[in-house]
Amino acid sequence: MYPDYMLESIKQVEKTRPERYELSKKYGKQVFPPMNEKERDDILTNFHPDYKDDALTEIKIGPNKGEKLTSAVSNMLESHTRIDPAKFDLNKPDHETDVLIIGAGSAGMSAAITAAGNGSEVLIATKLRLGDSNSMMAQGGIQAADQKDDSPVLHYLDIMGGGHFDNQPDLVKAFVKDAPLAIKWLSDLGVMFDKNPDGSMMVKPGGGTCRSRMHSTRDYTGAGICRVLRDEVYNLPDKIKYLEYSPIVELILDDKGQAAGAISYHLGTKQYSVIKAKTVIIATGGFGRLHIRGYETSNHYGATADGLMLAYRAGVKLSFMDSVQYHPTGAVYPEQILGFLCTEKIRTMGAQPVNKNGELFVYPLEPRDIEASSFIRESTERNLGVTTPSGLKGIWLDSPLVDMINGEGSINKYLPAMYRQYSRFDIDIAKYPMLVFPTLHYQNGGVQINDNAETTIPGLYVAGEATGGVHGRNRLMGNSQMDLIVFGRRSGLHASERAKKGVDFGKMSLEHVYSYEKEVNKINIDKKKIAPILLPDYIPNHVKEKQVDTEYFGTLR
Amino acid sequence: MKMKENMVTVYIMGEAYDVPDSSTIITAMEYAGFQLTTGIGCREGFCGACATIYREKGDYKLKGALACQTVVTDGMTLAQIPFMPSEKPIYNLQEITADINTVKELFPTIFRCVSCNTCTKACPQDIEVMDYIQALKKGNIAEAADISFDCIRCGLCALRCPAEIVQYNAATLARRLYGRYLAKKSPEVDESIKEIEDGKYDKELDDLTKMDRKTLSEKYYSRETKLR
Amino acid sequence: MKIPYYPGCTLKSTAKHFENSAIASAKALDIEFIELPKWNCCGVVTPLAEDDIMHHVAPVRNMIRVLEMNKAGTVSNEKRLLTLCSMCFNTLKRSSLRVKEKIDDLDILNDFMYKEEDYDGSVEIVHFLEILKENGFDKINKKVKKSLKDLKVAPYYGCMLLRPKDIGLDDPERPTIFEELLSALNAPPVDWRAKNKCCGSFLTLENKETVAKLGHDILTNAQKSGADMIITSCPLCAFNLDNRQKIIKKIHPEFETIPVLYFTQLMAIAFGLDKELIGLDKNFINPIPLLESKGLL
Repeated sequence: MYPDYMLESIKQVEKTRPERYELSKKYGKQVFPPMNEKERDDILTNFHPDYKDDALTEIKIGPNKGEKLTSAVSNMLESHTRIDPAKFDLNKPDHETDVLIIGAGSAGMSAAITAAGNGSEVLIATKLRLGDSNSMMAQGGIQAADQKDDSPVLHYLDIMGGGHFDNQPDLVKAFVKDAPLAIKWLSDLGVMFDKNPDGSMMVKPGGGTCRSRMHSTRDYTGAGICRVLRDEVYNLPDKIKYLEYSPIVELILDDKGQAAGAISYHLGTKQYSVIKAKTVIIATGGFGRLHIRGYETSNHYGATADGLMLAYRAGVKLSFMDSVQYHPTGAVYPEQILGFLCTEKIRTMGAQPVNKNGELFVYPLEPRDIEASSFIRESTERNLGVTTPSGLKGIWLDSPLVDMINGEGSINKYLPAMYRQYSRFDIDIAKYPMLVFPTLHYQNGGVQINDNAETTIPGLYVAGEATGGVHGRNRLMGNSQMDLIVFGRRSGLHASERAKKGVDFGKMSLEHVYSYEKEVNKINIDKKKIAPILLPDYIPNHVKEKQVDTEYFGTLR
Repeated sequence: MKMKENMVTVYIMGEAYDVPDSSTIITAMEYAGFQLTTGIGCREGFCGACATIYREKGDYKLKGALACQTVVTDGMTLAQIPFMPSEKPIYNLQEITADINTVKELFPTIFRCVSCNTCTKACPQDIEVMDYIQALKKGNIAEAADISFDCIRCGLCALRCPAEIVQYNAATLARRLYGRYLAKKSPEVDESIKEIEDGKYDKELDDLTKMDRKTLSEKYYSRETKLR
Repeated sequence: MKIPYYPGCTLKSTAKHFENSAIASAKALDIEFIELPKWNCCGVVTPLAEDDIMHHVAPVRNMIRVLEMNKAGTVSNEKRLLTLCSMCFNTLKRSSLRVKEKIDDLDILNDFMYKEEDYDGSVEIVHFLEILKENGFDKINKKVKKSLKDLKVAPYYGCMLLRPKDIGLDDPERPTIFEELLSALNAPPVDWRAKNKCCGSFLTLENKETVAKLGHDILTNAQKSGADMIITSCPLCAFNLDNRQKIIKKIHPEFETIPVLYFTQLMAIAFGLDKELIGLDKNFINPIPLLESKGLL
């Protein structure tokens, strides 16, 4: 439960609630005027963390050399390899397959099912278990313009505007056109979408959408999809093999510059394996566990941007790596759930962000970067946030409105995950608001691809959060879930097609690892700094001080 | 102004460690010096990787929990269950029917349920596990799908089941059967696919992809918002 | 009259027509079944071993639901639990008597439960037939709209309604309750030898041939005794006698099939109820030609 002094502020929230409820009856979601172009520019420039002086750092090596990237990303990319390439006999692969998929979230598994369905042998190598991914944790929804009052054209506009018009147009076009098809594909696989009594999809709006097109499976949308895909992978044992606890640490190319496989590392036995593959799909997800600018994250334990490093070292350019998505509503209290996501669906169902005096200060459904920036402004410049016992700032997300607007019991029915999360700490979000602050959520940018999910390396494909371009510099709610399926399927199909045609391999090679290593050495990087990082390091110093003869190789010992 | 932490003693696999009392089981293990590679996943209660069994001081009950969602208590003794051995029947969803015969064929063990309710007691998601198994026994797939919806497949129900049922796999089948066959159809999805396949939006979309930033921006800010 | 009702799993799936016809017939007699708000499998096979308390958890849990219903006021002071399926009746009743006799067992079971209130041994398990008898067969007779006088019906008791003696609802050797019901429906009951012979029960899963043999004996005995059809109150007996006629026919090509109905279907026919509720399309051997020939449809 909240401490007394916070309950005092909650009283203010309760006092203004009836009036704000009336506003919502009158104006729907628009209880506060949305910002225009200039206001958006102003708030981003002044308050978004990406615009701080030290947010970006010029990268000194690799395909994006000379460009300014998010500092933590530049820093990670300027790292040594985990392997000594000389120790590997690439001519004696431990595994051979048509399509190698790195990562087993919804993108990787969509790719696997699609490639297998197209007649290819598939091998998945994943860091933890099948399905262990940010995909599984997504809550709010998945966007597709399949309603009568909507169209792919409007979806396109929303995506471009949300991304500040920097998005890669061919990717966005493919995305909006495939989206309804992806919904059908998922339905046929048995995903339980929320529906109205007549069977039509129960759709909600999302931040930055001009129509209601958010499909959901309660507030377990990611899990609702990802666990079905996982079950389908389990059901195809003859076509899809998988290696768990086996992150990929380097790609293998051939001397013609084509993708030819990868090297995996088993987290348990510490063995490396050589995998030969006709085509390779990177579906490794994002970078939340880099804790950019010290932010807490809503991301999975394994979200360490491995795919960026793999592709970058092999010579593929990254797009939009100067932007980071902070989700406006991460939990700041109780402390045990710091940084955990409070789904945007709470706002799409009518919850309003208010300051410590219970006042509205922003349209609840601005695109995420705008919404997050306005939370930061409210609790810094305006000093109208609520301070937690450990000194963090937060904004109230007035969740009891959800039940007032949608009927009693709606929170329990449509937001069971959120309700349970807070109940564990004796907070009933149907009665009390939630204290939130932006949390590090999503990697807007990533590896550059075309609309077939291909990179500039023949035979190398990328799908999902690891890619950059679809979302420009800011992703809207529900478009990542769709991204996983659309480009997961596209990558699976095209990788499978290439594998079926037959690849004329040259000599298997790790030459790219050697040459990148030379560059790294030139800029004098600490020998112990290696990437892919694989897992974050949460071992406290008091332990490390006593590990007198323990070697840490990167973050792993 | 971080407040001073109070320490408690927890027993991880029998060994005593002093950890801050605000720790979850996961952060307590990390504080103690373990670098976890199994029994850990999303850290937010969605993936089911960190199933843990524990007893609290002075309580005879063996409880189930997600390590990332459970705050330690003084004297707590615990062990993680990072993996649950289980049989998963292989099926082609497109070739089975949404009725009791499918349930009987794929999950004959559920008919061994003695209604002891131990599964429900073990569930860290507070799901009425026994009730959905009973619903399946009656052939009520829709009810089983609904009750089991929040399952994250941690495996604790199956671990405690005296009838050796693998509840979570049966629940997955129920939900997929419901989604595929029993949920009412959504014709608007097929209609929108047809429109797209017929090329209805091709020209407009092509124009948009070629549009300069300024025109696109104007089009965006002047679009009408109609939310439900 | 409102009475707590326990359906059992089969009545919600393959024997749905048993439930539908029973509820409709009861309604015609002003008896309202109030289904337990929450129930689980009856336990199916009551263990005979002294120490197997675990298998009494399921039946006792259902009895606790009856207490909960009384507490919630869904029924008023009605501690009887009505069953239709003979197997459920037998299993539940056996447990209810056991925990009444052995208080120590009841304590162990109560200790084991979770949030449920304690069970006090006060619930009485009854079968629909007993309620019909208590209500008065004369009342049934008054509701008959279609006389079954031309239909010769062999009532099949099987085991679970009759044995063991302290569980059974009638004399295990010379039962009469079905005959009384048939008389009330104006249907002349067929007296036959095999009415309380075992149908083979769960052997049907492992040894279809044995079950087919037992079924053949029972069915041909009914036919030789002049029966047009058989009635039962057990879904498992119904399966073995009705569905297994397919195999019987294979083994004995000369065998003529005979319809097997739930007794409640026959009541619903006599009461002239809606054919949707009677559900004759759910019976394996099609009874419609026979019933039509007797002018009952």
